[in-house]
Amino acid sequence: MNEAVPYISNYIDSIIQAVPYFKTEIILAIGFLCSIFGSLFLDKIWKNSSFAISIISYALAAYCNYQQYDALGTAFFNMLHIDRFGLHAKFMLLLALIVSSILIQQHFQHSTSNKRKGDIYTILLGSSIGMSILCMTSHWLMAFIGIEMVSISSYILVGYFAETKKQTEAAMKYALFGSACAAIMLYGLSLIYGFTGVLDFADQKHMQGLIDAPKVMSGIALLFVLTGIGFKLSFVPFHLWSPDVYEGAPTPVAAFLSTAPKIAAIILFSRLIQAWGNTLFYFSEILLIFIVLVAIVSMLAGNLIALRQQNVKRMMAYSSIGHTGFLLMAALGYMAGHQEALLFYLAIYTFMNLAAFAFIDLLEKQQGNSNLSSYSGLGKQLPILFTLFSFVGISLVGIPPSAGFVGKLFVFSAIFERYQEMGDMAYIWLLIIGALTSVISLFYYFKIPLYAFLKSKTNESVGQPIGWTPSYIVAILLSILLLLFGLFPSLLMQLF
Amino acid sequence: MGLLSLLIFLPLLALAGILLIPSRYQQSYKYVALVITLVQLGLSGYLYTQFNPNLAGINQLSGYQFVEVLPWIRLDLGAIGKLEIDYFLGVDGFSLPLLLLSAFVMLMAVGASWNISKSRKGYFALLMLLNTAVMGIFCALDFFLFYVFYEVMLLPLYFLIGIWGGERREYAAIKFFLYTLFGSVFMLLIIVGLYFSVLNPHTGAHTFNMLYMMNPDNYIDGSFFGYINNSFDVFGIPARMIGFIVLFIAFAIKIPIVPLHTWLPDAHVEAPTPVSIILAGILLKIGGYGIIRICIAIFPDAAAEANWWLALIGVISILYGAFNALAQTDLKRLIAYSSVSHMGFVLLGISALTAESLSGAMFQMLSHGFLSAALFFLVGVLYDRVHDRYIYNFRGIAGIMPKYTAYVAIAFFASLGLPGFSAFIGEAFVIIGTFNAESVGTGIPRWMAIFGSLGILLSAAYFLWTLQRMFFGETRLKGGETWAVAMNDLTVREQLILFPALALALLLGIMPSLAFEPMNNAVLGLLKLVENYL
Repeated sequence: MNEAVPYISNYIDSIIQAVPYFKTEIILAIGFLCSIFGSLFLDKIWKNSSFAISIISYALAAYCNYQQYDALGTAFFNMLHIDRFGLHAKFMLLLALIVSSILIQQHFQHSTSNKRKGDIYTILLGSSIGMSILCMTSHWLMAFIGIEMVSISSYILVGYFAETKKQTEAAMKYALFGSACAAIMLYGLSLIYGFTGVLDFADQKHMQGLIDAPKVMSGIALLFVLTGIGFKLSFVPFHLWSPDVYEGAPTPVAAFLSTAPKIAAIILFSRLIQAWGNTLFYFSEILLIFIVLVAIVSMLAGNLIALRQQNVKRMMAYSSIGHTGFLLMAALGYMAGHQEALLFYLAIYTFMNLAAFAFIDLLEKQQGNSNLSSYSGLGKQLPILFTLFSFVGISLVGIPPSAGFVGKLFVFSAIFERYQEMGDMAYIWLLIIGALTSVISLFYYFKIPLYAFLKSKTNESVGQPIGWTPSYIVAILLSILLLLFGLFPSLLMQLF
Repeated sequence: MGLLSLLIFLPLLALAGILLIPSRYQQSYKYVALVITLVQLGLSGYLYTQFNPNLAGINQLSGYQFVEVLPWIRLDLGAIGKLEIDYFLGVDGFSLPLLLLSAFVMLMAVGASWNISKSRKGYFALLMLLNTAVMGIFCALDFFLFYVFYEVMLLPLYFLIGIWGGERREYAAIKFFLYTLFGSVFMLLIIVGLYFSVLNPHTGAHTFNMLYMMNPDNYIDGSFFGYINNSFDVFGIPARMIGFIVLFIAFAIKIPIVPLHTWLPDAHVEAPTPVSIILAGILLKIGGYGIIRICIAIFPDAAAEANWWLALIGVISILYGAFNALAQTDLKRLIAYSSVSHMGFVLLGISALTAESLSGAMFQMLSHGFLSAALFFLVGVLYDRVHDRYIYNFRGIAGIMPKYTAYVAIAFFASLGLPGFSAFIGEAFVIIGTFNAESVGTGIPRWMAIFGSLGILLSAAYFLWTLQRMFFGETRLKGGETWAVAMNDLTVREQLILFPALALALLLGIMPSLAFEPMNNAVLGLLKLVENYL
């Protein structure tokens, strides 16, 4: 202890210097506290106060994030990297959070549940800090804290409003599965720390330690660590929780779960594979094989199982597993130096999923359920909504003139370029499976227009019309953005 | 804004108009569509008169006419290099006749849609979107732009078949979509590959410009599709051959070739009459056009190597389609299979790689374009009246519908290749060209030409047999009196649609130079590209 004394002032100095780099998160933390206060006291006076507080915090955080572009660097003893990559991702996060908050507010507006609705915004804010950290770190400790913050918030989000047995079951499954994965990851981390003595995975010593360790042991450690990230990303075989959770959770929560945590996790994952995958040792090879395999299996499994779904939310769950496979492909592109392909696809993926879930939520409210069959013949009654919903489906498949197509094109380009450089057949397989699963996915995304426009109405009951609610407007705006970025991708691309 | 842009985007204007006019005035939608397609036909007719047939086109920008270039997407992608996508339009001898054909068939389709009563707004809006996409495909010279139009075309078709189609429409619509998309996503991978292999010699950026892709000098040495130092192979097949095969499959699905044709009978049978007309009249031609413009022009080396197989597939399609047509009992299915057979001539003609056969293939596309449109319209006439197309349910139609019978007889004779009609010229040129191929040395044996001509014989058999079964003899109908009353003869509107199509078939049959003249230089230009590799 005594040896540390002379350094203390140094430490404090550098911590204080690091604070400006942490502004966004500090704002979110203050927002978190205010929101607790709001939901305890202010909600009685104005029921939307904690919602308002959370939106204001996100807006302020986004502003700070914008300012951060002028002050890049590292902070807290290299634990945080503030670079453009992370800042872009944080923008997407905040956008996803704002949209999810609006959807949540709309969803529970008329609910009669006597649970305090304000708390849900508080939890969202809490998770946002975790995700934001995940976007900037290459340090295992920070990463673990971030993952746990997101996970615990997610368990609460899923379980908090559980009313039926099924929803409770989904929440329970989620929590159990999540904790198990976290425990395995922690074990893997302890092994890695034991081998290397460094917790920063971008550190040279870290790599050296892993190389020196016995092959089997470092392989196991690697797999254990990937378990934790795999759970958050829900790639195969760690995807089992997601269909039940998406189906059981309130729709806006599913919208949140399918976007924001994935952004954060894929950013962390990309940083990880960039650090580990570009070396000449066997280790990188294992990692590459692992990613290619997981990406292929995720794309195939997600898209093939989605074919058989009758519930739109379940279908979207499998679709997002398939998209995770595709995101892994984009992450491989990042490893090869194409961060713009990854960021573009990530942004478009966020738009698409948020819009799709917003439409599902609106229809769920009108129809009382989210089964595909309940959409039968609704196209006539709600032409604008279903035209746009179908367009979002088109974008999810990746057909022009939607932004989803351009995203796919960029990812294919990145992988192809990598193939041309390395000549590894694995990349060709990735391309083939990526193209093939796009065709497969057409089949189930087009069930939406199939039921809405091609089939005729089964029941004559007319639900209440859908007004110009904020969530409808948000969904329309997102759909228009998908068309705009499909025709003029440079508008978005030049930002990255 | 140039003439081609006008041609492409006029229907979008109509679409906006149709969406804005309230449903109360839904009677007006068809007039909007009619006016716009008439203007398009006029425009493309004007292009035809202004077209200079001495320019070849193909791989020379200077050979293209009515060219429009606008930078569309410019991105600096760091390691991948600069991305260059242009809004690049132009026509040459291959695209101009097809453009004219499209405008003509679209007009026919709008005329055939006159009595559509189910949600007119959506129907005409989708028809106009389809119109835009089709025009775009034939004008686009940037591969990215081409691909966008190509895919956009699928969406309205899916809905047109799926909403306004027959009983099994959902199945037919998704089958059609899946088949085409299957071809085109892999085409996308090839586009990406080409993009990385080709440099714009003026800016040094990677480009999607098709013309640059046709020039071997623009390929980077050692790149995936490069000509020189190319060691890439996929599953043991050289990269350039793989590129050719994948593109060929994508377009062959559209033609369609046997065995990738199974979507076509379903789509045709389930589609409403106007959509059948467009499918047969325009969309099948996109397949042939794609093979000429893209497969052969961008991969001439692979085309020269693979043409024996292509020709074989063409012959198989001719014979298989014809035999199937013989066996059909549904009139619309019969015509659908006759399309497979007739489009087989197109593939045979293209793969024979001689001037005669290639011109014959182009001519056959035009001729089949308006003849099959007329045939499908004629089937639609019958179906509208009695909602039945089963051949054996009709006998002696000539007795109650004389005018109709006359039109059917003319259309059948024209299609089976009676001299004096356009189909004869097309098929004869293909056969002659293929026969010559052995002496020119393109590697297509004579027996293929002989088997091809067998197809003409078979088409005479199924058309004449159908004529005999349905139209001649004593009038006997399955529906009895009710049918006889319902089956009134052709109306003025129907004759107005049919007459120009058949008149065109006759005109081109007598004066084939009307079509041969503008395309001749382009045909020679394309052959010059391939020549080096034969």
